[in-house]
Amino acid sequence: MRKVWAVVRREFLERVRTKAFLIGTFLGPVFIAGIMVLPALLMRQSSTKRIVVLDAAEGGFGDRIAETLRSATFGDDSTGEPRFQVTHLRAEGRLDAKRDSLIAMTDRRDLGEARIDGLLIVTEDALARDSLEYLGGNAGSVAEMGSLQRILRQVALTEKLARSGIDPLLLAQTMRPLTVVTAKVNRGELTGQSGESTFLLAYAMAFVLYIALILYGMQVMTSTVEEKTSRINEVLVSSLRPYELMLGKVIGVGSVGLLQMAIWGGTAWLLASNRTRIAAMMGADATQAATLPIPDISGGVILVLLIFFVLGFFFYSAAYAAVGSTCNTVQETQQAQIPITLLVVLGLISIFRLLDDPNSSFARIMSLVPPVAPFVTPVRNSLSPLPLTELLLSIAVMVLGVMAMAWIAGRIYRTGILMYGKRASLREVFRWIRAG
Amino acid sequence: MPEPVIRVDRVTKRFAGHTAVRDLSLEVSPGVIHGLLGPNGAGKSTTIRMMMDIIEPDEGRISLFGGSAGGRDLSARIGFLPEERGLYKKMKVLDHLVFLAEVKGVPRRAAQARSAEWLDRLGLGDWAQKRIEDLSKGMQQKVQFTGTVLHDPELLILDEPFSGLDPVNSKLLRDATVAFARQGHTVLFSTHIMEHAEQMCDHVTIISRGLKVVDGPLREIKREGGQRHVALRFHRDAARATPVLRDHRYVATLEDHGASAELELAPGADPDDLLQALVASGAGLSRFEVVEPSLQAIFIARVGAEAARAAALPEAAA
Repeated sequence: MRKVWAVVRREFLERVRTKAFLIGTFLGPVFIAGIMVLPALLMRQSSTKRIVVLDAAEGGFGDRIAETLRSATFGDDSTGEPRFQVTHLRAEGRLDAKRDSLIAMTDRRDLGEARIDGLLIVTEDALARDSLEYLGGNAGSVAEMGSLQRILRQVALTEKLARSGIDPLLLAQTMRPLTVVTAKVNRGELTGQSGESTFLLAYAMAFVLYIALILYGMQVMTSTVEEKTSRINEVLVSSLRPYELMLGKVIGVGSVGLLQMAIWGGTAWLLASNRTRIAAMMGADATQAATLPIPDISGGVILVLLIFFVLGFFFYSAAYAAVGSTCNTVQETQQAQIPITLLVVLGLISIFRLLDDPNSSFARIMSLVPPVAPFVTPVRNSLSPLPLTELLLSIAVMVLGVMAMAWIAGRIYRTGILMYGKRASLREVFRWIRAG
Repeated sequence: MPEPVIRVDRVTKRFAGHTAVRDLSLEVSPGVIHGLLGPNGAGKSTTIRMMMDIIEPDEGRISLFGGSAGGRDLSARIGFLPEERGLYKKMKVLDHLVFLAEVKGVPRRAAQARSAEWLDRLGLGDWAQKRIEDLSKGMQQKVQFTGTVLHDPELLILDEPFSGLDPVNSKLLRDATVAFARQGHTVLFSTHIMEHAEQMCDHVTIISRGLKVVDGPLREIKREGGQRHVALRFHRDAARATPVLRDHRYVATLEDHGASAELELAPGADPDDLLQALVASGAGLSRFEVVEPSLQAIFIARVGAEAARAAALPEAAA
């Protein structure tokens, strides 16, 4: 066992002490943070816009528009900065002329404080036609036009109601949308989980698993081939049993993977739970950040994911190690690994069938098939917690699968690592397995 | 008679197209430095790999330490230096040595102490924290040699350990090997450089094209060559001696190295006659000595000049 540990330590330290690891591990969270915060950052309205309301309407519609615009703030709460600086101009019969002269002053940085950012034209029939015209330098900004439209629609609605004699306040109450609060029921029991967040969680878990299995599994494979090409295998083989070498490698690389995942996961969780605060610090729209559906992840779900990550990793990296041992160069491995990687992809794809019905017979069967079980069971469990018996059964099947794979892979590995020359054919490989 | 450490019993190994080792038998006695000699392609590495259980013989068997366990099972008692050198390029020298020792079962602390000690002994103390890839080839070989002996094995098997080394490093490692053996360990090493074997070995086995050609204690082998060899050195004009040396009344076989030569007297020839003829030639003798044949000469005589020529490339004797 000490020998396996020596290999584990070597594989672990060799990878963790490299620049590549440090960069990847710490850049990863930066990347995630960027994805979360950047969209909000990019779309915010940065400064107060100077708007002129050119008013040709009667009945005070224009006044009310100007008033509402004046009181609009960033963040939509009373403590925010005002979005607009409004000048209310009456057309007084000379709409077109005034319009043209105002356009000439729009989007003119050279005018400094006297410039206009946008011009809102309220015609006589604006309300009847449900149409206002906005001319401005920021007309291309989706976020700003969206906010403007939102505000103006509200004013128009209130105005129409008032003119029809309906009390706007009464209507507001009546118009409050009905919310349907969802909660999952599992086999006659209330589970207390909501709808959409669980989908995201399931997908995220499967994706992370997929990336990790391939990324780290391939590292085991290339490490095996490199030991062949550097010829250090002959020395190793005279000191260790091949399975000790393989096991040490799998555990070493797996530990690096777990560490990296833990750092990323931990950072993601930290960022997610503080997302509104971070968004506010950056001056972005906090409400938008808050609406990102980040699910609450329970400990049980994480535990199941971890168990199947470990089991799946042993399963697949043993396969990758065996593949690596049959090749002589890293290039050869690129081709040879395709079947294994396809299996992993299959696992990822299979979860989509589960999303609709995690407890169908298809799903149940898949939980008992070792190559896909690492994906299927944790995802099913996150959508609809599995009874202990089903979990244990899936784990047991997986353990058996790992043992079988380790045995086969071990046989291939111990012969393959000393075979130089042409890449072994499939028939030869079968012979190695049988000969032992 | 103590149990041999290695017993090779009528072993044959075939690869596609040719027979690498043919019905080979040999024994390595405990505490001895045993040389396995032969030209390139003779089957030395193949034989060694069969001892180490890296390949399996097609016929015959190999027994280590008197038992039936294979080379891989006895890894703790054997130190193996393969012909193809292999180290992890990116590891630091000290870490690598500690790893090699730990993988043989040496506890960590002892591994660290011994590694540091050997590095100093071989003049690599300053390089302990450098990466393997930063070392020259000779230094890497010293590191690999160290890795082979760190766990204090009873039996050391070295496949072409001194090839490619400059004279200084070659001497260093050869001395280290002899010192190691004198502590009571058994050493088997293969080489095609006869001078090394001559200086170091107690016992010698020569193989050529898979067949054993000579096998026995070095002293006996040399004595068997008889007192019919003469070692010569010229200091004035070696070319003048050529006609004499080509004269088959005096000389049976000749190894002409230019300014020096070694020859076997023709049957019935008197060394005094040869001496007179050489002096008369005017080549200028600085050495005329009746000697036991060198291992090189024995090798050539037994294996043939062609094989000897192949053995002479590409390394020069250190």
